[in-house]
Amino acid sequence: MPMYGDLGNKLVQHAKRAQNLAQLPAYQTELVRAVTREVRDLDRDVASMLEPFQGSFDPAAEQATACTLLVNHLSMRRNKRCLLAYHRTRADKLEELVWSGSDVVDLAGQQQAGAAANSVPAAANDRQSSSLSPQEEDYVRQYGDLLAAYKGQWTDIDLTGSLDPPRDLFIDVRVLKDAGEIQTEYGAINLTKNSQFYVRQGDVERLIAQGYLQKLG
Amino acid sequence: MDIDDILREVDPTFHAIPQEKRDLQDLTRAWVAERCAPELLQWPANDLFERVNENIKRQIEKVEEMTGDMDPKTNFVLIVLQTELERFKYLVRSYLRARIAKIDRHTLHYLSTDDLRSRLSEMELAYATRHQALLHNHYLASFLSSFPPALQNLNDTAGNVTMIDAPDLDSAVFVRLLRDTAVEARDVDVDSSTGGQENAIYILRWSDAKPLVDAGSAELV
Repeated sequence: MPMYGDLGNKLVQHAKRAQNLAQLPAYQTELVRAVTREVRDLDRDVASMLEPFQGSFDPAAEQATACTLLVNHLSMRRNKRCLLAYHRTRADKLEELVWSGSDVVDLAGQQQAGAAANSVPAAANDRQSSSLSPQEEDYVRQYGDLLAAYKGQWTDIDLTGSLDPPRDLFIDVRVLKDAGEIQTEYGAINLTKNSQFYVRQGDVERLIAQGYLQKLG
Repeated sequence: MDIDDILREVDPTFHAIPQEKRDLQDLTRAWVAERCAPELLQWPANDLFERVNENIKRQIEKVEEMTGDMDPKTNFVLIVLQTELERFKYLVRSYLRARIAKIDRHTLHYLSTDDLRSRLSEMELAYATRHQALLHNHYLASFLSSFPPALQNLNDTAGNVTMIDAPDLDSAVFVRLLRDTAVEARDVDVDSSTGGQENAIYILRWSDAKPLVDAGSAELV
């Protein structure tokens, strides 16, 4: 017989697993719903158990009932913690993606590609959408706006730029994907695949992050 | 820049230097401290960042002005200027990111008391408030709204366990004494007090080191 909290435990395990994955696994809609349902059921149990006492419940006189109530309360709290942990872990992961510059549209595409490569085509076809819940998609969008607003106050700094200390002003890069023409202070450069350039780091940082260019040691 | 340069820069005996240089020192100092301390530190109050921003803007303009010039001599100056600019930008960026990371991890904690709120800059406060609201809405939309009302809070302290996570103030930091001072530290058995000498480096709990750092008699390294 499944015990209280089993489902919550599963959620936590999912969250733990997601921490070490490059991509966010699918949102556990069913599990989340089941845990929430458990909480509601427990709450109803508590209410019905307390009903005959009409608000004059004395834990010392009814120790058995008091114990049940305690267990129910603790299970509810625990489930809540599990849910919070699960969602927070995913939200952190999503924020990381927002910081690294992938926008939501990109993200959904990425997730789909990941799901399709999963060698379980049936599962991928079942779920046409991304592995985010609708709420999470909302969250990503809003967080992106928030970050953009905060970044906007530091336009000169480029907050999402590289966190490695700058060593050289100019670097060698190799072009991995055609990126078209970019304008620099030293004229236009045409970035065609497999060519190499010696360019100013600040000019191409974005392209490196997006995977168009590769920095050469 | 190696560690000795940094250490020399934070030395309080280094006075009588122009404002720009002092700003750079303050910035470097704030950056090192912020990256080492386990909790969020005070946002620099003396308009440091307004000045730093102003400088960066000015340098960018100067670089743009000089770019048209094809003289090799200007070109060299240009490279020096741009390298400096990149480093400046890196310092500010890294500093801000370190702070944001801390704020994100313990948002409710930093928003909970006025004292802690005052450590954030106005922009950070706006960011933290909004971020927390977003998160709360996300939880509500995902599952919290179908919970019994009594369980919908995010700041319960039932059963003596608070839901608000706080940074660990007892984690260890390295400090360098900037003047002779007594170092008091809690030990496992007995608390100890050592007469510390200038330039000595200690490893202490942050909660023990904080008074020294606040008083300006020690610096995080």
